[in-house]
Amino acid sequence: MPAFEAAGAKLYVLSYDEIDALADFKSAHGTTFTMLSDPDSEIIRAFGILNTTIAEDDHPWYGIPYPGVYVMDGEGIITEKFFENNFTVRPGPEQLLAALKGEQINLLEKGEGDQEVKVEVTFEGDTLPAGITRQLVARFSVPEGMHLYGQPVPEGLVAASIQLEQELEGIVSYTPVAPETSALTLAGDGHTLQVYEGDVVLRLPVAQNGRAIEKDDEGRWVRIAGKVQWQACDAEKCDIPQEQSFSFRLPAAFTVMADMGPGEGRVPSMNGAQHFKKMTERRQTSS
Amino acid sequence: MQIERDTRGSELGPNQYEDAEGYIAPLPAGFGPRSNPLGDFPTGPEVGQRLPDVITLGSDGNNVDLHADRNGQPAILVFTRSAVW
Repeated sequence: MPAFEAAGAKLYVLSYDEIDALADFKSAHGTTFTMLSDPDSEIIRAFGILNTTIAEDDHPWYGIPYPGVYVMDGEGIITEKFFENNFTVRPGPEQLLAALKGEQINLLEKGEGDQEVKVEVTFEGDTLPAGITRQLVARFSVPEGMHLYGQPVPEGLVAASIQLEQELEGIVSYTPVAPETSALTLAGDGHTLQVYEGDVVLRLPVAQNGRAIEKDDEGRWVRIAGKVQWQACDAEKCDIPQEQSFSFRLPAAFTVMADMGPGEGRVPSMNGAQHFKKMTERRQTSS
Repeated sequence: MQIERDTRGSELGPNQYEDAEGYIAPLPAGFGPRSNPLGDFPTGPEVGQRLPDVITLGSDGNNVDLHADRNGQPAILVFTRSAVW
C-alpha cells in the first residue's frame, strides 16, 4: 500500500460480500484500501463480467465476477486491464505499479552511435508466490532508424518475444503486455509489416502452480528460464534473428489464501465460516 | 455470448484435482467455485474508455462514489470473488 500511495494512486477492491464481512476482513488484515460491497452483483453485471458459467441456483457461488483488475489514469480512463481465464491467478503489485507508471519505464540508456539492438531481461519482484503473477521484463534498446517486429510477422521474420523453456515444470505464463505496433510498408516489395517504434519494453506475466518448488536448507525455490528473440530491420534490410537466454532462481513465497480453515501458509484470522453460512442462507432465501 | 466452462483436468488422489495449468485444489475443475471460462470471455469496458460509475457501499457503511472519491488521482479497481472464501 505505501508503494501505491507513493505512486499517487488509490486502490479499490469490489466483491459480492456484505459490508459486515468486508469490515471483518479489513480489521483482521489491517488493510487500508477501500473495500466495496456489491451483494446483489449489480455493478458486476453492469460491467458485464458476471461469471455466467455458474448456474443461478448454485449457491453460494452464483454472483461472482470473472476476477480482474482495471487500471485508470487521473481522468478515469482505463489504461490497462488484467483478466486471465484461471481465477487462481491474479496480477501481483509490481505489475500493477508498472501499469500505473506506464509500461515504457526504465528504458536502457543508449550509447553514442549504437549499431546493435541491446536487450536486458529482468524479473520484477523478489519472490514468486503460487498463483500471483510477476513479470519478466525485456527492455530492448533499438538504434535510430531500426525497428523490431511485433505479431503477426510474415514467415521468415521473427517477432520480438519472451519465451519460457518448453520443459519448465510448474511455471505458467499469461497474457503478454506489449506496446502498440504501427504499420510499416517496405519500399522494396511493398509488404506491410507490424513494427514497434523505437525502444520496446515487453512484459510476460508468469506464475507458479505450486509444483515447481525445490527445497534446500536455505528455503524453497523456483527456477524460471527461457529466451528473448528478436530481429532488427531498417528500411532496406533485416539483420539475422537474435536470441538471448535468461535464468532466474527465486524464493517461492506463500500465498495468503482464504480464511476458511487452516493450511500451510494460511493466516486464519477472520470468522470466514460464519459469514459464509450467512451468505449461503441469504442467497437460498432470495431466489 | 455463451461462455463454456473449463472442465479440463484430472484427479490426482482423494480431494486432489489438477486443472489444465497444474494448480491443485480439493474440487474438480468446472465445479462450483472452480468455474473458469474456457476460451474468450467478457472482460468489461475496454482500455481507452472511461471506467463506468461505481457507486456503492464501502466496508464502513458509507456510500462511495469511486470517481469522486479518487479525487483526480489514478486508481486501481480490483474485482475479486470474495473476501470470505
